[in-house]
Amino acid sequence: MSRAWHDVASVDQLHRDGVVIARAGGREIGVMLDEHSGRPVAIRNRCPHMGAPLCKGTIRSRETGTPGSYGLETDRRVLHCPWHGWEFDLDSGACPEDDRMRVAVYPVRVEDGRVLVEA
Amino acid sequence: MIDCDIHNEIGDVEEFLSYVSPAQRRWFRGQHQVGLPGYPWAHPHSFYRDELEAGPGGEPASRIDLVQREVLDAYEVDAGLLTGDVGVAVSLMPNPYRAAEFARAHNDWLADRWLDAEPRLRGSILVPAQDPAAAAAEIERLAGDPRFAAVLLVGGSERPYGEPRYLPILQAAADAGLPVAIHSGGEGMGISPAAGCAGYPSFYIEWHTLGSGGSIMAHLVSLLCHGTFDRVPGLKVLMMEGGLAWLPGIMWRLDTNWRGLRAEVPWVTRPPSEVLREHVRFTTQPLEHTDGNDALLWQMLEAVGAPDILCFASDYPHWDFDPPDRMLARLPAEWRQRVMHDNAVELFAGRLALREAA
Repeated sequence: MSRAWHDVASVDQLHRDGVVIARAGGREIGVMLDEHSGRPVAIRNRCPHMGAPLCKGTIRSRETGTPGSYGLETDRRVLHCPWHGWEFDLDSGACPEDDRMRVAVYPVRVEDGRVLVEA
Repeated sequence: MIDCDIHNEIGDVEEFLSYVSPAQRRWFRGQHQVGLPGYPWAHPHSFYRDELEAGPGGEPASRIDLVQREVLDAYEVDAGLLTGDVGVAVSLMPNPYRAAEFARAHNDWLADRWLDAEPRLRGSILVPAQDPAAAAAEIERLAGDPRFAAVLLVGGSERPYGEPRYLPILQAAADAGLPVAIHSGGEGMGISPAAGCAGYPSFYIEWHTLGSGGSIMAHLVSLLCHGTFDRVPGLKVLMMEGGLAWLPGIMWRLDTNWRGLRAEVPWVTRPPSEVLREHVRFTTQPLEHTDGNDALLWQMLEAVGAPDILCFASDYPHWDFDPPDRMLARLPAEWRQRVMHDNAVELFAGRLALREAA
């Protein structure tokens, strides 16, 4: 199926709600606002692990560390699944802990106050 | 479909306290977590699924309509067993008299506020295991109440449940025709010794990997070695949320040890794994994620009696919930009816089943 740009919400709605769930390209896609970067991200709303509504999870910086010390990769943002807590990289959709698990991430842009997703 | 492990929370503490005797109400109100011991470790994010609606007290699953919508209706559950949540740690309170009062109040609150309101739900009877005579009396008090389908014990304990001190509880449950559900949790809490058999672990991830399964293993082996099912022939036990992949290993080990060490427990006259098949069942959640090796898991579980020993449980609203639709798709086709429904109907002797229209 060829991909196309879909108008899924107004920018105002996205800022108000933080997340918008829409159907585009035959898939349920969530557009979430990453508060850290201020940019919207579009991700398929289904966790590949057990089917959770992934976009009801939270976007956060990824905890990191070396044995015995805790750190935070402030600029590496991950989506944290609301059920089992698996993490998905916001840029690639990959699960850093399991290379079999990946969620689709879609191009998204803002134009004339509207949020557009290519799916 | 029958869900053997639905947790409901005490959201409105004052509502719960109204079931506590006035003489003890002030004490419970003044304690952290209504007097129940807590974990030394917290989940790094949340013990609950993130997306659930918060009810009274900010807790999910703390109102009947939330449980109805988010699990019973969402997954077309015919019948579900309510197991409370933090209340199960009542047996780990240092004060047995407070514990007995908490358990009684919890049972009355459950019956009144939850079981009367929703015919698809049945309750489990909380008991203070640190005072077995009081626990047995509480079971007898509720034995004739068809709203209750099981007696609930917690994985954390002072001694493993095959110890003779616990026989009054097991006997009372069997006399009432109720299985005893032993739900993992509480290991290292209150008067329970540390989880994991090697002193306190450092992290929640260690407890969740070892502590919860470890207590279930210990109770299972204890019940079998003490000949508990010969002492209480009507007893059925449901092991909850302790994992499953370890079961073949432990039973092969126990059967082998029994052949060489049976003189220590001469009343055990059959391979323990045979007794298990007749008297013990296991809930499925959290079924191990096998990294693509499910066929191996089914084969190993078949060797110790699956699918007949397995009963589905979702563990709603906890973070490690197993969604029923995923479990149905994952199980071998010829196991589905037994695991998702029939085994629970048999175990609970029809108390946990689709209620006939009046």
